[in-house]
Amino acid sequence: MIGFFWNVVLALLWVALTGSFSGGNLVAGFVFSYFAVAVMQRHVPALRGYSQRVPRFIRFAVFFIKELFVANVRVAYDVITPVWYMKPGVIGYELEAKTDIEITLVANLISLTPGTLSLDVSDDRRVLYIHAMFMADEAELRESLHELERRILEVLR
Amino acid sequence: MIDLFIAVFLLSGAAFMFLAALGILRLPDLPTRMHSSTKAGALGAMLIMVGVVIGFAEWLAFARGAAIVLFIMLTTPIAAHAIGRAGYMVGVPLWDGTIKDELRDNYDLQSHSLQSERREQEPGKDREEP
Amino acid sequence: MNGFVFSLVYAMLALALFMATIRLCKGPSLPDRVVALELISSIVVGVIGVHAIDTGVLSLLDVAIVVALIAFLAAIGFARFIERGGPRSD
Repeated sequence: MIGFFWNVVLALLWVALTGSFSGGNLVAGFVFSYFAVAVMQRHVPALRGYSQRVPRFIRFAVFFIKELFVANVRVAYDVITPVWYMKPGVIGYELEAKTDIEITLVANLISLTPGTLSLDVSDDRRVLYIHAMFMADEAELRESLHELERRILEVLR
Repeated sequence: MIDLFIAVFLLSGAAFMFLAALGILRLPDLPTRMHSSTKAGALGAMLIMVGVVIGFAEWLAFARGAAIVLFIMLTTPIAAHAIGRAGYMVGVPLWDGTIKDELRDNYDLQSHSLQSERREQEPGKDREEP
Repeated sequence: MNGFVFSLVYAMLALALFMATIRLCKGPSLPDRVVALELISSIVVGVIGVHAIDTGVLSLLDVAIVVALIAFLAAIGFARFIERGGPRSD
């Protein structure tokens, strides 16, 4: 987080020094300061690991947008066709995420993909209860949830 | 070319919203309706906003469009979670085709406490007890 | 071509609004109606966006931001209200 903060500060500094406040210049400043932070992180402990995190985040965003479209089309197909192919159900999913912010992000991103809706977290914060729309193969559903959670934690940790 | 992009984004966004409305009308119970409505509706709004930003091709429009998309992405799952949870907890009936419900047994309607024990997943523990 | 696209988009969104309104009137339980209201608000955000690009008025996007914000607050408020009521059958 502190790495991102410095990245933004350096980008604003670039814009101020070059003197033209346009969006394209801001993006250029952002790219340059990203490389500056990437070079500096070996010597400053607080910045460590920042440059690896950005590509991971981009990979996660691409993965998530793809997932969003696939799941949406799947739900849409079931809505259009007159026969119901869905097998809805509520499952308890064992969370790997521990802290509040991790659980919040995992639950929200699970809610955002169609076909799964997070209902509640148990009081001891170990199990997330999820309403899923397609439960024909429960093992496969758990596998895809686990994949999503692993990728989120990869970005956060 | 730009016109084509705008048309594609606007039409796909409108199509997703149409599907969301069709889903909310056709699907049988509350949670499945929410699957259709909140997410497809949000995706439709985001796609339309992308089309709008491309159409204006201005940094001011980009800032506003990005703000709307970010805001929808942040708030939709929270609202869906709140309504879905409230609906489930006050006992809105589920569809007959629902094949499994692991939450109902673990939830205490009076004290609002939710256990995490899972009988289905750990059959060994239950069987050991007489 | 663009005029045709805009009328098509408007027609689809209007039809979507109509169907969501049917669910709003019919909805067997209160949460169903709240979900329909939420969908209506996000369709309205879409309509405002399309209208902004149709007329070329940039400041309409501010209205879209406000509508999205109010819809979120309303949804959270309704959820609290429903949950306070406790178990019931309507």
